[in-house]
Amino acid sequence: MDNKKINYTPIRFRGGGFHHKNNYWISPIVFITLLTLWHLGTTSGFISNLVLPKPIEVAIAFHDLHITGDLYLHLGASLSRLSLGWTLGTILGIILGFAIGLFSTIRSGLAPIVAAIFPVPKIALLPLFIIWFGIGELSKVNLILFGTLFPTIIATYGAIDNVDRSLIRMGQSFNLSWISIARKIILPASLPAILSSMRITAAIAIILIVAAELIAAEKGIGAYIQMAGSLFAIDRLLAGIIILSCLGLIANWIIGFAERKMLKWRN
Amino acid sequence: MELALNKVCKSYGDLKVLNDIDLQIKEGQIVSIIGPSGCGKSTLLRMIGGLEKLDSGSIEVKGSVPSDCLNPLTFIFQDFSLLPWRTVEKNISLVLEDHKLSEKKKKDIIGSVLDRTKLSEFKKRWPRELSGGMKQRVGIARALAVNPSVLLMDEPLSALDSQTSEILLNDLVELWEKQHFTSVYITHNLSEAIRIGHKIVVMSRRPGRIRDTVSIDTEISNRNLKNAELEEYLWSLLRDEAMEAERELENG
Repeated sequence: MDNKKINYTPIRFRGGGFHHKNNYWISPIVFITLLTLWHLGTTSGFISNLVLPKPIEVAIAFHDLHITGDLYLHLGASLSRLSLGWTLGTILGIILGFAIGLFSTIRSGLAPIVAAIFPVPKIALLPLFIIWFGIGELSKVNLILFGTLFPTIIATYGAIDNVDRSLIRMGQSFNLSWISIARKIILPASLPAILSSMRITAAIAIILIVAAELIAAEKGIGAYIQMAGSLFAIDRLLAGIIILSCLGLIANWIIGFAERKMLKWRN
Repeated sequence: MELALNKVCKSYGDLKVLNDIDLQIKEGQIVSIIGPSGCGKSTLLRMIGGLEKLDSGSIEVKGSVPSDCLNPLTFIFQDFSLLPWRTVEKNISLVLEDHKLSEKKKKDIIGSVLDRTKLSEFKKRWPRELSGGMKQRVGIARALAVNPSVLLMDEPLSALDSQTSEILLNDLVELWEKQHFTSVYITHNLSEAIRIGHKIVVMSRRPGRIRDTVSIDTEISNRNLKNAELEEYLWSLLRDEAMEAERELENG
């Protein structure tokens, strides 16, 4: 027995892969590589100047925007429309979503109307809004309000429908008042879904404001892009697009920050 | 407070769930109800707690409620039902906030129930940070905070592993010895029922009826963990029912 040799082999590990590792240095490298390729392509003449300007020209366009103050003029116009329309739409949407989520009568009355208006691409309403509210600020703010209102309503009452019934029963079993159950159980339980709908409505709001400004505005990022496009000033056009990208990233970051603050009970 | 159930019936549509339940629960008594899954024992408890309507019959309470009792019929849930967005102490404060109590009084109550359930050092924790046993302790602390006359426990230990549930069962016994509350204890675990009940009610499969009621005279504190003879008897009552009930579910 003793001199009989048994060959033990180690067990091969096969549980790896299928999960993400954060390699923070990769994305800057990709970014710089793309920028270099862009630079090389445009300076060598491989990419025509009619298609893409040099990166440095876009930077100069940014610099000009800053020097002339146009950046702040256009950004200010877009931001004030965005923030006003989005805030009003979100607040109104949450209120209506709660009303639909909590009261059967209101649900029966409003839910079909919401369902009917929700799929309409809101940009199609702009001509109508221009007739109703004029060519000025009001038509644009209302367009964004409308665009954010419906997704918010649907997300809010959907979230309320999904609140764990056993928590509501728990509240009732301790004789909590109706208002306490709504405020302390239903509202916090639906907050995650409401916040993630805010991410979506922020993106919708940016799409709508640019579209509205492309069609009818003197100021705003969309108007600036429109102007640059009609002058074939691709450098300025790209500067406008980069501003929009930053706008979206900042909006996302703000909502992410709000989520971390308000939902810290999750993890 | 005493409870009296008279000819309680309940159906969901065509499905008859409970049939003619008669039951008396005396002051300071713990009644365990056992039965196969789907026999309507949880429905019965929810009806006692006023969370569900009866079709016919009546459930009545007798006796006065002490003045410091904030919620006479109070549940302890199988799934704990804690609010994940509130810390341990805030989960308990939830059930006090609707009452006109001074801040100091609330703090005293929370401190006292956390102490009684051995949770004081966890009061600032989120529910997700707690083990199942700890979560149920919070559920028990929350129930104690309203100083209930009757504790309605719906399989309070079923979601816990057997070691943890053993510990919590002993803690429940300890709590009862300090303050003889009236309680209905739903379980499917025979030894749990024997350990904590003054009276054991065995229910049949759907439609739930009372098959037998067994009283245990031994003081709760003096009971052995195992009472093989009684367990054998209860199992003999339940075995066929449980097998039938299982097949019922499989047949849809």
